[in-house]
Amino acid sequence: MDATTAMYVGQIMHGLAYGMLLFLVASGLTLIFGMMGILNLAHASFFMLSAYFCVSVIHMGGNFWLALLAAPIITAVIGVMVERFLLRGIHASGHIGELILTVGVMMVIMEAVQVFWGTDSHMISVPSALAGMVNIFGLQYPLYRLFVIFLALAILGLLVLFLFKTKMGMIIRAGVSDAEMVEALGINMPLVFMMVFAAGTWLAGVAGVAISPLLSVFPGMADQMGMDAFVVVVVGGFGSLLGAFVSALFFGLLNSFGIQFLPRIAPVLMFVFMVLVLSFKPKGLFGERE
Amino acid sequence: MTKIWIKTLAAIILIGLLIAFPKVMGVLNTNIFIGFAIMALFAVSLNLMLGYTGLLSFGHAMFFGLGAYTTALSLKHIDNLPISMALLLGVLGAVVCAVIVSPLLVRLSGTAFSMLTLAFGQLMYIVCLKFREVTGGADGLGGFPVPDLKIPFTGGIDMTDPVNFYYFAITVLGGCILLIWRFTKTPIGSVMISIRDNDNRVDYLGFHVPSVKSLVFIVSGGFAGAAGAIYALFQNMVSTDGVLGLFTSFNPIIMTIIGGVSSFTGPIIGAGLLTILEEFLLRYTDRIALFNGLVLILMIKFAPGGIMGIWDGVYRKWFKRRTLS
Repeated sequence: MDATTAMYVGQIMHGLAYGMLLFLVASGLTLIFGMMGILNLAHASFFMLSAYFCVSVIHMGGNFWLALLAAPIITAVIGVMVERFLLRGIHASGHIGELILTVGVMMVIMEAVQVFWGTDSHMISVPSALAGMVNIFGLQYPLYRLFVIFLALAILGLLVLFLFKTKMGMIIRAGVSDAEMVEALGINMPLVFMMVFAAGTWLAGVAGVAISPLLSVFPGMADQMGMDAFVVVVVGGFGSLLGAFVSALFFGLLNSFGIQFLPRIAPVLMFVFMVLVLSFKPKGLFGERE
Repeated sequence: MTKIWIKTLAAIILIGLLIAFPKVMGVLNTNIFIGFAIMALFAVSLNLMLGYTGLLSFGHAMFFGLGAYTTALSLKHIDNLPISMALLLGVLGAVVCAVIVSPLLVRLSGTAFSMLTLAFGQLMYIVCLKFREVTGGADGLGGFPVPDLKIPFTGGIDMTDPVNFYYFAITVLGGCILLIWRFTKTPIGSVMISIRDNDNRVDYLGFHVPSVKSLVFIVSGGFAGAAGAIYALFQNMVSTDGVLGLFTSFNPIIMTIIGGVSSFTGPIIGAGLLTILEEFLLRYTDRIALFNGLVLILMIKFAPGGIMGIWDGVYRKWFKRRTLS
């Protein structure tokens, strides 16, 4: 494989890895929005929080695998507490209050991580089993990025199975299209909301741990992911998992090729794209509801 | 009759206090007060949308930033530009931007509106960050000349003097707040409130809801631009994170929520409280946003009407003369 092709393949793989992580974050965001009508601006903060929990687990002597298991669960517990004690009480009084509340949660988490973990960035080393390079059609590629892609694919598979093959998944899909009606059928929607919120923050948490060896853990790490996930959800369509998947991959690739070829235009393009979609197709490309 | 007297007296006392402020409180507090007044106008202009029309904008920094950048850029590139013209250009920049984006925004409401404003705000931020030949990027734009204020028959007044600038800034900012107050009392102001309460019914009554929203959006953006222009003159420095960042959009929302969405004075009170809180906390910690976030959460959770909401409740319970017993 010559150098140019290798570069392209490398960029595609990078884009896919970032796109898959983006999907993990965006899928939680889109599910929460679809179910509860809440655009959770604090979502990327949970992603960052989980990365910091990963730092703590490793500091306390745990290894990366333990962190990958534990950190997202701790994050989900915090997510559940936010839902139960903060968001639920004001659900009835309209979306503006909820939106502003999530801004408050975002600010508190952003500052709290700096209080507890300091402002320095923490390096997380790639677990030794995944440290090497792997040969894909003659291209040397870091094994860890490949692992990230497969991890996200596995979670996507489980998510699809859960949503389309289980009774709970059916209730969630019904809730996305009409939560009031589902509640009228005698289903405990507040409980379902809480579970969806937990699942969403857990997904963000997995992405947070998975990205930390690639990005290192620092207070601003949620900024780009947050905006990217937000754009992905808007473009893909609110509440649409397929839309989130397609647009996450698209923006992942745009991101990796943009850095290569159009370092100044690419981030602008992303928002232009989002503004165009929102203006002319407010439901998003795959969405069914506004 | 007595009510008018009380109001006039209160206005005279307020103006007197404002005039005396720099003499009594010193330069440092004067500068803090200008900062407060800028944020107060910014928050009041936001509340025109949030409190009066029921539209939550996450991209209001777009107008603040455009006002600031237009003023800074015009002072930098146009020689001998009078300060008033620089100010007007700043407002004009914000208004033009509002006119351009409003057709895309006014048909939306609720969460979709908030998201599109967030998108526009971020778009503006990224554009200013990336095109650093013009805007200076993250380093910002500083050291542009701040011209003297020229008043006929007198010499120029030196605007780099903090006390002189204080009087200029307070006049402009106070005047803008009064104009917004007048605006809320016009028939359009009533239509705005009815759109917040029930936009369908307003539509049935024969008002064209999108054009009213668009007007509110443009007015609100223009005044936010004025606040930004004064900010640029005050700081003599504009940077993307300072005037266009996400937190520049969040701050007036926090102030409005703390002070009270449903009243005109709420955002001003909120801006005042937040400024005092910030000055107080800065002595002990840098983590101001932590406290702002906590205050925001507590307010939304326990007092969604803000300080003015609490005051209204207390007033109704204890002070209002009960006509029916």
